[in-house]
Amino acid sequence: MQDVAVVGIGLSKHVSKRRDVNIAELVYEAVSAAYEDTGLSPHDIGAVITGNMPAFEGVNLPELWGAGHWGAYNKPLLRITTGGTTGGSVVHGAFYAVASGIFDAVIAIAFEKQSDGDTTMGLNTVALADIAPMLLYGADPTLLISMGGGAIGAVAYQATSYMKSSGCTTHHLDKVAAMCRDNAAKNPYAHLQQPGITPEEVAKTKMMEYPLRFGHCCPATDGACAMIITSGEKAKKITDCPAYIKSCTSCSDEGAVFGLYGGGTANVDPCEQEGCKIAAKKAYELAGIKDPSREIDVAEPYAPFANQLLMFYERLLLCEEGGAPAVLDSGSMYLDGDLPVCPSGGVISTNAIGASAMERVAECAMQIMGKAGEHQVKKEVHNAVAHGWGGALNLIVVAVLGDTPRG
Amino acid sequence: MEKKVAVVGYAQTRYEPDSDASREILVLEVAEGALKSAGITRDDVDTVITANNDYLDGRTISNMRLVEPAGAWLKDESKVEMDGAYAALYAMMRILSGDHDVALVIGVGQASVYATYIPGIMTLDPTFDRERGLLNEVSAAALQARAYMNAYGITEEHIAEVSVKNLRNAALNPLALRQMPDLTTDEVLDSRMLYSPVRELNAFPPSDGACGVVLASADKVPGITGNPAWIRGVGFSHDSYLTERPLHKLESLKLAAESAYAMADIADPKEEIGLAEIHENFAHEELMAYEALGFCGQGKGGELMQSGATRIDGELPVNPSGGALSANAACAVGLARITEATMQVRGEAGERQVQGVTTALAHGQTGPCAQENIVFILGGE
Amino acid sequence: MQSGNSELKNVEKVMVPITPDFNWSVGNYMEKFFDGLKDGKFMGVKCPACGRVYLPPRMICERCFKKMNEWVELPDTGILESFTLASVKVDGDGELRDLQAPQLIGMVKHEGADTCLVARLEELEPGEARVGMKVKAVLEEVPEGVLDILSYYRPYE
Repeated sequence: MQDVAVVGIGLSKHVSKRRDVNIAELVYEAVSAAYEDTGLSPHDIGAVITGNMPAFEGVNLPELWGAGHWGAYNKPLLRITTGGTTGGSVVHGAFYAVASGIFDAVIAIAFEKQSDGDTTMGLNTVALADIAPMLLYGADPTLLISMGGGAIGAVAYQATSYMKSSGCTTHHLDKVAAMCRDNAAKNPYAHLQQPGITPEEVAKTKMMEYPLRFGHCCPATDGACAMIITSGEKAKKITDCPAYIKSCTSCSDEGAVFGLYGGGTANVDPCEQEGCKIAAKKAYELAGIKDPSREIDVAEPYAPFANQLLMFYERLLLCEEGGAPAVLDSGSMYLDGDLPVCPSGGVISTNAIGASAMERVAECAMQIMGKAGEHQVKKEVHNAVAHGWGGALNLIVVAVLGDTPRG
Repeated sequence: MEKKVAVVGYAQTRYEPDSDASREILVLEVAEGALKSAGITRDDVDTVITANNDYLDGRTISNMRLVEPAGAWLKDESKVEMDGAYAALYAMMRILSGDHDVALVIGVGQASVYATYIPGIMTLDPTFDRERGLLNEVSAAALQARAYMNAYGITEEHIAEVSVKNLRNAALNPLALRQMPDLTTDEVLDSRMLYSPVRELNAFPPSDGACGVVLASADKVPGITGNPAWIRGVGFSHDSYLTERPLHKLESLKLAAESAYAMADIADPKEEIGLAEIHENFAHEELMAYEALGFCGQGKGGELMQSGATRIDGELPVNPSGGALSANAACAVGLARITEATMQVRGEAGERQVQGVTTALAHGQTGPCAQENIVFILGGE
Repeated sequence: MQSGNSELKNVEKVMVPITPDFNWSVGNYMEKFFDGLKDGKFMGVKCPACGRVYLPPRMICERCFKKMNEWVELPDTGILESFTLASVKVDGDGELRDLQAPQLIGMVKHEGADTCLVARLEELEPGEARVGMKVKAVLEEVPEGVLDILSYYRPYE
């Protein structure tokens, strides 16, 4: 396998509404930033790998209209879309494009312009597959949606189940949210920046669906991310400190909640996340990491809701099951801790859905390259793990990055 | 490319206007069928790539509900939102990386569940063309056909001959939707006019169906089959938006073919390619493809058609399966071309078998006016 | 696609009634294009590197990957690059429905532009349309919205 490394990253501004640019132009900002970051141009790139979650913009295959803005003219282009995990899946596509030896340099692009559509409606369409059979039995779709309430409804079930099994309390959720929003204040590309916010202030925000308060939930963001990914050989000529992508894994534990014909065959506990454990184990094995809790220096789990940061910390095998609240209490997850989590502020602070899973990888790369500026963690970063979550509740992508190639 | 990845199994459903099955059942059928064809089980599969489209599926994250029927439960699974041939490309790259050995690739399309031509309209420029109500994939194809005809003196008869060839060939393909063994050019030219010069029989029939293939690394092939179809080369390319490029030629197909030929060490495609399965959503696209693929000179597609060379008994048969004009299950079409080319190379094409095919070309496209194209070169042992 | 098969045995069909609304930002370049149309002008933009002129305008020249800042006012006349006579249109169900009367659709490259606009062709018989003929834009006097301003093209000598 040809070594694969990140040599450059570009991000657009991330805010709630970019009415001054259309989708193609928003993405251009990230793409041109990545080229500027590396001193490269589209001439140097062999292929474009791109994706977003089209339910939000209502544009089918937006690259057909827009990719001229992204340097894709007359280039090989591959579109990968997997819902919430899209950004990570796009990185996987780029990884394999280079690891295969077919390309030496590619650009990976992921984005979302949430403001062009209706985020709630877009999220509700995730449930369409499950709602459709229920309509046969006379169920009212608007009633169903109000019961589950889109993403937050489903995650509320996940949160309460996790709290029961781990001993996580609502105070832990408040602490996670405060930690992330405070980190985000040091990240110029983050959306919700709340420097110095305290858990007590988070606890006062409006209750959405127990146990999730407004302060525990991600925003809807317009934003784009681009990463230039090359072979190890080429990377050394471009930058002194490439961030090698050591492994990419995924594990689909998704099943129809109500089964193919309403039979009900799937997971009933959304905090189990078996797929995450399997994907993480494989990713560490391939990366030559034997004890992730010691060898991983930074983690960027995909956690649009506060409970998920703790839950995925465990499912990514960074501590034993049920152990994350204690790790949070120990201070280890903070920027100056032993294993900082979401130094970028995480998805809970910035969520352009199609881009979010890619930004987890980008942030890990920045930490390894020492380019995270004010939100650079205190400790030396040799290995990092990035994660993406999506689907209805159980699609997962994992990437392990490091400052050396896969051993 | 040396022998590194091969197609070792495949399956297709019958293509129908309205299958009495859900997408999950169609996918299950080809997943099981492809595994059986390869003589392996789900346990032997490392990775699964599906090809589908959220708007064609009518469901966001369209791979989500296919995880189970595609055999991808607890597997490393992903999805491309393009024609199925691109899913085969992605699976191939996963195998070449060395991290996976066996891949299951599935493409599915079910025209009966979506508002047929609206997803195509949704690919148009949302700031202008989309809401003006004039462009869709058929009217765009018509504009391309007219530009092509005008540039090179191609006639409606030339184009009708493609339909006749393919729809007659389709009568040899038990899976095809549109089988017309006695079709004449007069009948094609009399069929329902859509957007001039595109008539109903010059245009793809929106279909329900699915296709699956199994790819394996060189290490695994001997344990699976003594008759692999090796992927010798692949190339793909993305062209400009339809109002921003000259429509009379398929530049991205030309670039894709050049890459594929270079990888496969093919210097003279017309001589070295024994058979081609081309993804022709519209009959004129096949003529344009002859030129882009180097089977004839620029503008000579009509002449090549008339020479008979691309008929099933010609020197370079094109679409013995009937092509997309005989069945178009959206994201399965290019993957079906790979499957048909594989069958030809392996001598398993039944009544539509062309003798002595050692090297075959398979093509897939995505986007109006064939904006994005991918070419595979397959070869036998 | 309308189900033609009323004898489905294994599956039920259900219509899911969800109609999302979208509200696309067109961006500053298209805004300027629409402002130009309101004044009866065709505003394109020119690449500083290769000189290609885009109409409608784009922010980036796709060939050079350069931002374009030079605005060019183009004449309202151009060449018919292609056309089609439509006998059908796509209806609300996404199917091809026969038109009462066939309608000409044209792809036009304005003088000085390198890309095309698509609009109806009127004031000519279907048989009179020819690739390469000169045409002139006709703007709607009282448009409903910016997308309606460019009404059609007519033959022009």
